[in-house]
Amino acid sequence: MKHNFTLIMLLLLFCLATNAVAQQTDVSGRVTGAEQGMALPGVSVLVKGTTTGTTTDANGDFRIQVPGSDAILVFRYLGYETREVNVGNQSVINVTLNTDTRQLSEVVVTALGITREKKALGYAAQTVETEDLVRNRQPNVLNALQGKVAGANISSTGGAPGQGTNIIIRGINSIDPSQSNQPLFVIDGVLIDNSTSTFGAGAELRGMSNRLADINPDNIESINILKGGAATALYGLRGANGVVVITTKKGEQGALRVNFTSTAGIEEVNKFPDIQDTYTQGYLGVYDPNSFWPSWGPTVAEARQIDPTHPDKLYNHFRDAYETGHQYRNTLSFSGGSEAITFQSSLSHLKHEGVLPFTDFENYSAQLNTNVKLSDKFSTGANFTFTKSGGKRYNADRFNESLSYWSPRWDVTDFRKPDGTMQTYRNNNPIYGAATNQLEDDVNRFIGGLNFGYKPLNWLDLNYRIGVDTYHDDRTRTAPGPRGVPDEITYEDNRQGFVNEYTTKFRAINSTFIATLNSSLGENFNGTFRLGHEVYDRSIKSFGVEGEQLALFDYFNLTNARFLSPVQREEDYRLMGIFAEASVDYRDFLFLTLTGRNDITSSLARDNRSFFYPSVSLSYVFSEHLDLPAFINQSKLRLSYAEIGKDAPPYSTSSGFANYTGLPTGFTGFTRSALLGNAELRPEFTNTYEAGLEMSFLDNRLGFDFTYYYSLSEDQIININVATTTGFVRAAVNSGSMRNRGVEIVLNAVPVRTNDFSWDSRLVFSANRNKILSIREGLEEIAYASQFGYVGATVTMKLIPGQPYGNIYGSHYQRYYGPGEEEDPLFIDEDRPIVIGANGFPVRAPLASQKILGNAQPDWIAGFTNTFTYKNLSLTSLFDAQIGHEKYNQMGNFFAAFGIAEYTENRNQTIVFDGVLKDGTPNTKPVFLGQGIGPDGVNYTNGFYRNVYRGVSENFVEDASWVRLRSLTLSYSLPNKWFENLFIRNAGVSLTGNNLWLSTDYSGFDPENSSTPAGSNVTGFAGFTYPAVRSYLFTLNVGF
Amino acid sequence: MKKILRYTVAFMMMGAMISLQGCEDYFDLDENPNLVNDPPLQTMLSTTTQKTGLNSQRVASITSFFVQYLAGPTAGGSTDTYEIADYTGTWDALYLAMADIHDMKQKARTEGASEYVGVANVMMAYHLMLVSDMWGDAPYSNAFVSTTLTPEFDSAEQLYNESLTLLDEAIAELSKTDSRVKLNAESDLIHNGNTSNWIKTAYALKARQLNKVSETSSYDPKAVLAAVENSYTSNADNADMGVFTTINPWAAVAQNNALLVLGGWLSEQLIEHLKGTTTGIFDPRIEQITERTVNGVFIGTPNGAGNVGPASSTVKDESYISRNSPLTSDEAPLIIVSYPEVKMIEAEAALRDDQRQRAYNAYLEGIRASMRLLQVDPAAANTYVTDPAVAVGAANLTLDLIFKEKYVITYLNPEAWNDARRYDYKYAGFTLPVGAALNTFIRRVAYPVGETSKNPNTPDSAPLSEPLWWDR
Repeated sequence: MKHNFTLIMLLLLFCLATNAVAQQTDVSGRVTGAEQGMALPGVSVLVKGTTTGTTTDANGDFRIQVPGSDAILVFRYLGYETREVNVGNQSVINVTLNTDTRQLSEVVVTALGITREKKALGYAAQTVETEDLVRNRQPNVLNALQGKVAGANISSTGGAPGQGTNIIIRGINSIDPSQSNQPLFVIDGVLIDNSTSTFGAGAELRGMSNRLADINPDNIESINILKGGAATALYGLRGANGVVVITTKKGEQGALRVNFTSTAGIEEVNKFPDIQDTYTQGYLGVYDPNSFWPSWGPTVAEARQIDPTHPDKLYNHFRDAYETGHQYRNTLSFSGGSEAITFQSSLSHLKHEGVLPFTDFENYSAQLNTNVKLSDKFSTGANFTFTKSGGKRYNADRFNESLSYWSPRWDVTDFRKPDGTMQTYRNNNPIYGAATNQLEDDVNRFIGGLNFGYKPLNWLDLNYRIGVDTYHDDRTRTAPGPRGVPDEITYEDNRQGFVNEYTTKFRAINSTFIATLNSSLGENFNGTFRLGHEVYDRSIKSFGVEGEQLALFDYFNLTNARFLSPVQREEDYRLMGIFAEASVDYRDFLFLTLTGRNDITSSLARDNRSFFYPSVSLSYVFSEHLDLPAFINQSKLRLSYAEIGKDAPPYSTSSGFANYTGLPTGFTGFTRSALLGNAELRPEFTNTYEAGLEMSFLDNRLGFDFTYYYSLSEDQIININVATTTGFVRAAVNSGSMRNRGVEIVLNAVPVRTNDFSWDSRLVFSANRNKILSIREGLEEIAYASQFGYVGATVTMKLIPGQPYGNIYGSHYQRYYGPGEEEDPLFIDEDRPIVIGANGFPVRAPLASQKILGNAQPDWIAGFTNTFTYKNLSLTSLFDAQIGHEKYNQMGNFFAAFGIAEYTENRNQTIVFDGVLKDGTPNTKPVFLGQGIGPDGVNYTNGFYRNVYRGVSENFVEDASWVRLRSLTLSYSLPNKWFENLFIRNAGVSLTGNNLWLSTDYSGFDPENSSTPAGSNVTGFAGFTYPAVRSYLFTLNVGF
Repeated sequence: MKKILRYTVAFMMMGAMISLQGCEDYFDLDENPNLVNDPPLQTMLSTTTQKTGLNSQRVASITSFFVQYLAGPTAGGSTDTYEIADYTGTWDALYLAMADIHDMKQKARTEGASEYVGVANVMMAYHLMLVSDMWGDAPYSNAFVSTTLTPEFDSAEQLYNESLTLLDEAIAELSKTDSRVKLNAESDLIHNGNTSNWIKTAYALKARQLNKVSETSSYDPKAVLAAVENSYTSNADNADMGVFTTINPWAAVAQNNALLVLGGWLSEQLIEHLKGTTTGIFDPRIEQITERTVNGVFIGTPNGAGNVGPASSTVKDESYISRNSPLTSDEAPLIIVSYPEVKMIEAEAALRDDQRQRAYNAYLEGIRASMRLLQVDPAAANTYVTDPAVAVGAANLTLDLIFKEKYVITYLNPEAWNDARRYDYKYAGFTLPVGAALNTFIRRVAYPVGETSKNPNTPDSAPLSEPLWWDR
């Protein structure tokens, strides 16, 4: 019934507006731009003080009827200074408009492709242009945005080729850890999928790509990040986590232009953990070259006396196991066109071989953008992109875990015997695993959009767009079975050999219709009214067959498997929105925008599926209104409020029985579904408030943009993990509320600007504070993730009211509390002494006491870009920081358990632990840290590190703050005179170094990475990750 | 131009009309295509019977270390040495199976399928035994219902009583002849639709439960014997489950071990027991349980010590779970409760009731039935059963002898740990594992992190040395 309303409103407006045309004197003329003298089409021409107006046609010509000779015409055009002209007795008025050079008048692409003057926006918006994007030559668009956008926390999940990257804008909004907090991605108006699929056995830990990896940054003209509720309101609930609006390069009228860009480079692991190099293989100090235990043996010198074949020093198996990676990307593009048709097309190829052996990623893409202008009134355009991407993925978690078990007494790079079986002394050789246990994905994707623009009347603009994003994601997971040769040791995960085949078919269609009505509402007011309708229809079907136990050990064909089991999953989702936007501006300094959207979603039950939410935003360009000192340039104040609705993940309303997968072919069984569905689910709402101040000074040499936001999400839809004693694994509930508030600051400065030399500087800073205000009644906490740690060191991420999202809980040392002193149940009091047991070792508090050991959300993030340009040479550096967050280092836990960590070198020492006994008196008992019988004759069994240290989570939740030189790029555009007589138009070369410098206290690999796939909200675990890389890249760009 | 405008409006109106008409159905996607609402009873029976069999093995893969059937190949294994280990996976498997059993029972009730109700009760009772004998108190009375997300814990004693009630109800339901839906033989992976065997299993479990309280004042050996009388009469009646996606999970352990993914190493305690080092008589069942090493002998691994001897673990110089054993071959069914075990329960209860001859007969029959189950050569079996160390005569039968024999009979069965605790681990030669985290034998396990972290009703775990209520 909301459709009816829209329709009636639309018809009414047609009628209203048509009445406004009926006049007397004729005036005509042409409007041109001052700079090139080009005709300006679409300039608004208005009789001042009336609602009479028109716009110029394609040749810049206009014709308007004015009431008399005292009339004043107002010429207004985006990006140009507004001009007023007295009509007098002229019948032909030719006008030249000057370019508006003031900073804030830049045009930005906002929601649904609507372009608006930046000064009119009542909310923060940040644009990243192509030169900033491509500078650090990142294959993944999201990585290219790192450190450049205030309020966006972007993290690589690891350094694997094609590995996913996570982006969170203005903090986590959903309490539900399984709900995506990733923003919506829109390319040329088409809503595209950026999910990270983990479909298929074991894909979770294989660093699968986020689907934005299919997009070549070289094809992008600009990216606009819409952060707050008011900015994204028109996108509806799918934009609730922010929207990233990507505009690709378009062709320009003129001769054919050809551009070729080639990048090649190498990369290496940027940070390795420190490992001990004194103790060799064995246990209890006893050397055994076949022992499972990599480092609890005697010293190397002692072992060499027993075993002369022992190498004179241990290998550094972590450094040895990783290689130098390579990548290259070539992009060839063509653009040009006539007055009627313009086009841009490109072909590109990326090949990326990772630092972890046998991992790679390849991407081929072809793209075509065309725009056709059929007449002054009608235009149409099409964008098509085809991508084929994928590569060999390996489980970096498993690789590093196996490396931790590997004894550095042996050379890990000698991984294969001549007969093809695993070379090992006993334990799994991780490189052999990477070589044989493979998951290869192959994605064929098509993204296409068609748009039609129709402008029947000069105040009415109709636009329709239909877009499709569809792909097949085929995955093949294989491992050879035992070869049956003598003395064969198989790689554990390869089992009896397997071949798994998976396919996902994804299809999303989205259709958008927008009618725009422009009108002048008297002398000082201008109004724009938009009405729109949008449908999003998504269908995902995944299926696969898992074949186990291969007859011929390396014939990876399902017919060669003894046991076959199928998997299948389907999901459909539909969403429709009807929206309206009204904006009014008053004398070019006050801009008010109101929006409303009503969504109807398929993921909620009928009674709750339709819901409405509004937004309002105001921009006050006070520099245009008030008389300010000359050193202040354009400055404005922004205020906005928005309510955003959100629906549930598909099928949260239903429960039932799922196929039970434990039975062999020939038996069918059903089992209770893991999710307890809830038909009563209601939409959740977030209220956001935002205020901002933008100012620029000293001829725009200095400027800042400050934003404060506050958002409160209530009645959240959560699929909480529940105790299995309920018979379910998860349950869908409406409960809980969460708050985010924060600041974003962008500082721009041009400290030096001369003819030959300039220095541009930009700092982006943001800080977000999150607090869980309440969770479900009756629940004290929601545990949403945990990661294993030895003997009680397992850590859990839990939501506890009053605490922020991202807290990591775990076991801790017992602190001393005197009589009558009460212990805080959540926080460790670091100032108190640790309680030492009668045996002389620190005491772990009972496991039931799990305290806050850290939080995975950074206190603040910042990016600092400096560009120095001297003539044709430019140098850009980007420093990036994430400060004030902790992560659980599972690898650190294993390093303690297996005596790998450098600090375990003190195992031959006898020390007195600092702390007090149960009764509060100081501990004085010396204890031996090693294994077995100590120098004092006491049996220390497995030793301090295994008996005590590895079992205390507190030891392994580390400060993960970092500061890095994210990128350094030196580029040189070759002087044009060098190839004046050649067919080359322009050429440039650049050298880029990424991750050249990293400062962190974290003891594992680069702490930016995460054990969980991109898109996951579990960011507190960073142990066995695919290590981050430092890369050196050379780029050549030639235009013809 | 007017024409175009007209077309535009018409086009838009048409579009709006279509979406209006289609809209109501268009958004009706409440039905999850990956789920069904009303699966037939037989599809629930196949799920629940299989889960029941597998859960028996899952629990045994923990408890077999405590009773020292198995030993870790690596020194200091956490289960091996009584460390607090997190058994969330086992706990979850048990409770998710109970939820399926609960659902099958509800549906069977509505459909008047008394046979299914009875089978559900037997399996539920069995799960309650597995859970409460591991952890003690555990959720049941408001578990598996969608009304609470944090079920309360019932006391272990309540669970014990509940299991007996369930078994009595099961016997009544299974005895009805008017079940609206008959058990589907193909989907019943335990008794192939044979209700009288289900009744026998209910009695066998009841006998187990009644006998378990031997250390408490409520012990009634006559009640135990009454249950035994209605239970199994041969190995053909045994409750076992043999349908796997690939192979028997014990066989899979053995298969991995052969490929040097180590596991399934037999404990020195078990091997020395079978070899007669600690018992004084060589037990021929050893040949059917495991295989000789490359050196032609049987060698067990001491618990907590890991691989012993100079040779590395790539040399197969110790005894492992065997894929040639009738109990652990690729296709061998997992035994939930067996005729030989019931005979041993009879022997114990009869002895405690001072019915010495009955006890002795049951004792001998239990051994013989076990030999038959393990397909021991009849001559060798006879030699063993008639050996004076075994055939001691009714007058000389002792509980020690019964526990000694039952230890072999319950090889890789979770029930063994209940016996060990009741018997205070007094098996000949039984010692604490090397590097034990406790200074006494283990009596319980700690609540899993999966439950403690999500259910605030979870009690604090008692020390692992603290006995359960029936184990005093």
